[in-house]
Amino acid sequence: MSVEINIPTFLQHLTSDVKVVDVKGRTVGECFADLIKKYPQLKARLYTKRGRLLKSLNVFVNGESVYPETLTKPVNDGDIIQIVYVVIGG
Amino acid sequence: MTLNTGKFLRVNLSSGETAEECVPEQIAVDFIGGRGYGIRYLYQELAPGVEPLGEQNKLIMLNGPLAGNTAQAVSRWMSITKSPLTGAFARSVCGADFGAWLKFAGYEFIIIEGKAEKPVYVHLTRDGCQILDAGKIWGKDTREAQQWLVQQHGRDTRMACIGPAGERLVKYAAIVSDRRTAGRCGTGAVMGSKNLKAIAITAKRNVQLYDPETYNELAKQQVNLIRNSIGFQHHKEWGTTSTQDLTNNIGIYPVRNFRYGQHIDHEKLTGEEYRKLRTGDMGCYSCAARCGKVHTVTSGVYAGAHSEGPEYESIWAFTGPIESNDITASIAADQLCDDLGMDTISTGSCIGFAYELYEKGLLTKADTDGLELTYGNPAPMVALVKKIGLREGIGDVLAEGSMRAAASIGKGAEAYAIHVKGLELPAYEPRGAKSQGYNYVTANIGASHCYGYAGQDIFGGIEPRPTDRFAEAENADVVIYNQDGTAWKETGIICGFAGNWDWVPDLYGRMLAAARGIARFTDNDYLWQVGDRLFNLERAFNVREGFNRRQDTLPQRLLTEPLHTREAPGEGQIVRHQDDFLDRYYQLRGWTKEGIPTPRKLKELGLGFVLDDIAVISD
Repeated sequence: MSVEINIPTFLQHLTSDVKVVDVKGRTVGECFADLIKKYPQLKARLYTKRGRLLKSLNVFVNGESVYPETLTKPVNDGDIIQIVYVVIGG
Repeated sequence: MTLNTGKFLRVNLSSGETAEECVPEQIAVDFIGGRGYGIRYLYQELAPGVEPLGEQNKLIMLNGPLAGNTAQAVSRWMSITKSPLTGAFARSVCGADFGAWLKFAGYEFIIIEGKAEKPVYVHLTRDGCQILDAGKIWGKDTREAQQWLVQQHGRDTRMACIGPAGERLVKYAAIVSDRRTAGRCGTGAVMGSKNLKAIAITAKRNVQLYDPETYNELAKQQVNLIRNSIGFQHHKEWGTTSTQDLTNNIGIYPVRNFRYGQHIDHEKLTGEEYRKLRTGDMGCYSCAARCGKVHTVTSGVYAGAHSEGPEYESIWAFTGPIESNDITASIAADQLCDDLGMDTISTGSCIGFAYELYEKGLLTKADTDGLELTYGNPAPMVALVKKIGLREGIGDVLAEGSMRAAASIGKGAEAYAIHVKGLELPAYEPRGAKSQGYNYVTANIGASHCYGYAGQDIFGGIEPRPTDRFAEAENADVVIYNQDGTAWKETGIICGFAGNWDWVPDLYGRMLAAARGIARFTDNDYLWQVGDRLFNLERAFNVREGFNRRQDTLPQRLLTEPLHTREAPGEGQIVRHQDDFLDRYYQLRGWTKEGIPTPRKLKELGLGFVLDDIAVISD
C-alpha cells in the first residue's frame, strides 16, 4: 500500500529538498515511521524525546485534519498526508 | 424586533460635546462591524489631505459585534485613523479587556474628534461620559497612569492609554491597555496630538444581543470547538514564543536589517530558552488560551525586567535587527516599549537601521550620543528604546520612523530604511516567503504581517491551496485570499490566532446573525464579499490620499540584494518579479494598472459613493 507524504517547506532541507515522499503503512504513525527510515533526521522534528508527535504539528489526510486521532488514523492506498505547523503570526 | 446594529459615541475634545448615535441598518448589513464600521466611518468623516496629527484627524476605537460575552477570542478592539507614520489608512489591533468594557458601556465604537486645550482623559460609564483633567498622569508611563485611573474610578475600570511616547508624538507610539498594545501605525501619536491621555470605562457586564437564546447556544458550540482544537492547545502552551524556532529554521528570521534570514545564535533564542524565564500567563477577556507569556529576568544586567511578552514579533525586534542573543535584553526592551507606549516592531527595526548606519559610517558616536552601535551588543539598543520614547538626542531622529529618519540623515541612508509606505517590516523575510512579502506591498496600512498572513508560505497551510514560497505572481490569488479573509474576520475583531481554530466561517456567521438579527451573515460567500468590500474601501481611502502603484513596493534591498540564510534553505533568494506580481494582483482585484479600483469593481461592491472621490483612469 502506497501513501504520499507532502513534506512542508520547513522540513524539506532534511529531505534533500524532496517535496513528496512515497511511504508504506496502515496508519499515519506507520507512514511516519517509514518516512523516518528514509530520512532519520526528521524524527527529532516530528516527535518529542518521549515519542509523542510534537504539539506544534497538525496532520491532514486528503485535506482533512486528523486531529486528535492523528497517529492512529487509518490510511488507504493513494491517500495524501500533509504536515502543517500550527503556529500563526506573532 | 429591532435589529441590533450597535450604538456609538462621538466625543469632540475641542468643544467638549458628546453625542450618541445608532449605526444605520444599511451600514450594518454592508460592513457588519469592527474594522468594517471603522473604515466606513473614517472614509465618510475624514476629508482628504487632513494632517494626521492635526485637530481634524479622527480616532475611532471599536470592538466587534460579539464582544463582551462568553464567546472566546472575540473581545479584542482596534483603533482606526489616518496614520502619522504612513499618511495612509491605519488600523491597529489590541487585546486585554477594553473591547469588552466598551461594549458594557453600551457602545461598539467611539469617535474622538478635535483637540483638548490641555491634557484630559475621557471617563465612560453606563450613565454618561465625562472629559476630565489628566494633569496628574500626563508624563506618567502606562503602568503608572493605569494604576492611577483604577485608584480614581475603582476596580471595575478598564482603560486604553498612551505613555510618554504618545505624548511626544513618536510616530509609532502605541495605545496600551493593561499590558497589551495597539502597536502599529502610530495611533498613540494621534491620541497624544489630541491631548488625550486615556479613555477609562467603569462598567459591569451588560451586553445587548438580538437573539440571546440562539446566540448563547452557538457560543457554547464555539467554546467547545476552540478548546478541542490543536491550535488552542499549542497557543495555551507556547503563545507565539516558539515561532522563531520555525522561522530561523527555514531562513526567514530577518537579521542585521534584513541582510540574513537566520540568526547566527538561533539556538540561544528558542521557545525553550524563553520558557526558562517564564513566570506566568495572561490572556484577553473571555479567552482561555491565555497566550500572553510573562517573563521575568532574575539575574544579570537586566535583573528585575518583567514583561507580558515578548511574543514572537518582539522577540525578533530586540534580537534580529542587531543580532543579539541576549534574551534578557529583549525582555527589558519589551517592557520599556510597553511602559513608554511604543510599537516594538517599528522600534526594533529603527534601531536595526541605526546600527547599520553606524556600521557603514553614516552615523558616528558624535551622532549617537556616544553609543557604540555594534552588532551583538544589546546595551545600546535598550538605551535607544528609552531615547526614542523620550525623544532624546538620536532618539528624536529615530522617533520619526525609518523613512523620515533616513531623509533627515541623508548621505544615502534611504537605502537602509526597510519599510513599505513608511511602516517598518515585521519578522518575516519577504525573499523567503514571497506571498508574505507581497502582502506587505499591498496591505493598506503598509508592511503588516497580520493584514494577510501567508501561512501557506510560512508554515505549510493548505487553504486555499499550498504554495511554493519562492513563487511570485503565481500566488497573487493567495495573497488576496489571505487579505480578504483577514478583513472579514476583523469585522468581529476575531483574534488572528483563534480565527483558525475550527469555528470559522460557519459558526461565526451564525453568531453574527444571532447578535445582529441579520440573516445574510450566515452566507459564507457574503462574508468573503464583505472582506473584499472593506479592502477596497481602505484602498480607495489611500487613493484619495494620493497613493497608487508607486508606493506598492518592497524596499530596494529586497529587490536587488540576495538573501543570505547561513545554514537554512533559501540562500540567494531575491524578489525579482514585483511588477509581474502587481499586474496580476491588480487584475484579480479588478483594479487599473495603476492600482486604482475601477468603477465596475466599486459598483459591484456597493461602493459607488467613492466614485466621485478618486481619479479613476480607466475601467
